[in-house]
Amino acid sequence: MSLTDNLMKIHTIAILLFLYAPIAIVVLSSFNEYGGLSSFKFTTRWYESLLQNSTVWKAFSNSLLVAILCALISVILGFISAYGLVRANTAFKSSIESIFYIPIIIPEITEALSLLLFYNLLSFPLGFISVLIGHTAFSISFVFVVSKARLAGFDRSLEEASMTLGANRLQTFIKITLPLSAPGIIASMLLSFTLSWDDFIKTVFTTGPGFQTIPLVIWSQSARGGVSPELNALTSLMLVISITLSYLYVKMIKR
Amino acid sequence: MEFLKIKMKILSRIGLHGTSLFLLFPPLVFLAIFFYIPFIIAFLYSIGIIGRDRVINIAPTLSYFIEALNPLYLKVVANSLYIAAITTISCLIIAYPVAYYIALKASYKLRNLLMIAVILPYWISFLLRTYALMTILSSLNMLFTYHAVVIGMIYDYLPFMILPLYVNLEKLDRSLLEASYTLGASPTKTFLKVTLPLSLQGIIAGCILVFVPATGEFIVPYMLGGVSVTTIGTLTWDLFLKFHNWWRGAALSIIYIFIILAMLIVYVKKIGGIEI
Repeated sequence: MSLTDNLMKIHTIAILLFLYAPIAIVVLSSFNEYGGLSSFKFTTRWYESLLQNSTVWKAFSNSLLVAILCALISVILGFISAYGLVRANTAFKSSIESIFYIPIIIPEITEALSLLLFYNLLSFPLGFISVLIGHTAFSISFVFVVSKARLAGFDRSLEEASMTLGANRLQTFIKITLPLSAPGIIASMLLSFTLSWDDFIKTVFTTGPGFQTIPLVIWSQSARGGVSPELNALTSLMLVISITLSYLYVKMIKR
Repeated sequence: MEFLKIKMKILSRIGLHGTSLFLLFPPLVFLAIFFYIPFIIAFLYSIGIIGRDRVINIAPTLSYFIEALNPLYLKVVANSLYIAAITTISCLIIAYPVAYYIALKASYKLRNLLMIAVILPYWISFLLRTYALMTILSSLNMLFTYHAVVIGMIYDYLPFMILPLYVNLEKLDRSLLEASYTLGASPTKTFLKVTLPLSLQGIIAGCILVFVPATGEFIVPYMLGGVSVTTIGTLTWDLFLKFHNWWRGAALSIIYIFIILAMLIVYVKKIGGIEI
């Protein structure tokens, strides 16, 4: 190994430390009786008080409900659009594709404020439904990209074989296309679940009084520099959920 | 029946056959109503066609755009672009050796492990990661400074630079590097003449993935900068959720969207397509 190789190795290790040290410190302090970093005494009391916090539980169930419904709706809409587009041979293919790509490129805050103005104009009640719609409008595009990649590498002769053997379009779709695309579908559901579960900007712009999700709870407690042991515990739990989802996603996408 | 056949024929001539058109319809309608129409409505607010108490004015006005183009706001826009540019350049300089090492130098087993380490932060929201950084910065007494914001931006956006660079460098044909060495080029020369030009697509993809969202970033400047740093993101937040001046806020965001679109169009025209 040459000198430059060694320098690059040290640099890589240093950067990974930079990326993970803050996360590790949050997890460690969540188990610390004294909260901060100076002295350490193991405790689970912050997690226990978290479990008794009714605001957190309410926000947790809100987050979960929005994320599950968002994953279901956007996977249906995103997958059928990817399927429709991959199967169509149209001159407008790339224009239709860009309709789905733009929501990914546009900065989220502009989308959030436009939705707020839209809801206000229609006097749409702000809360669960308005948040769910906002999350879904954004997730569809991500599902579209993942599903499209999956369907592009799909062996179409299997579909043709099925049709030749007498199955109709719908039967072929249900018995051949759907099972073969299952890993991609599950992967994009996990992706849209996570996008919704973690979303802050769009939620804060489109929510109404009384409807809070977990990111909003973390935000409202930390916005003014408030670092508390209970918040560390909540953040650590959220980290565990995000990491689990990403693990499942990578497993699915590799199949 | 005959009518239907002709219709199918026309449709297939355009290329869109019946089923696909039918399948694409619901998602496109959903996106049109809940993504594209809201932008049109934001535009109608910005030119005053939708006024206070949702009164529709026939005559559009440019007054909100003139308000949004005042020197104070322009400074905020310039400041956001500046912070985003510093973030992008810093991320590129920091991320390149990391991606290079993982893609070309690490052993196969180590590479997979490092790869997971690089992808993982993608799945952790900015809010959580910024909060984690906040705990450190507050114990270092660095919170609410300009430097805290820049560090936070680099911290949050670094994975967005490492991943496209890694994906690109990993595909690099190693025999080209060997050929360059065999022909007598030094490692530096090989890097400058072979590796760097070949990884240009990855560099550009990474820069766009960092720069565009960084210009509109809200969480980092708000949580780590407090009142000391104002960006497009924090100004939009204040205009909408604090002062309820939606008209001026809409005008500001329309200007901002145009800046972003102009940059992307220049990019697509010059380089051609976003390949990630």
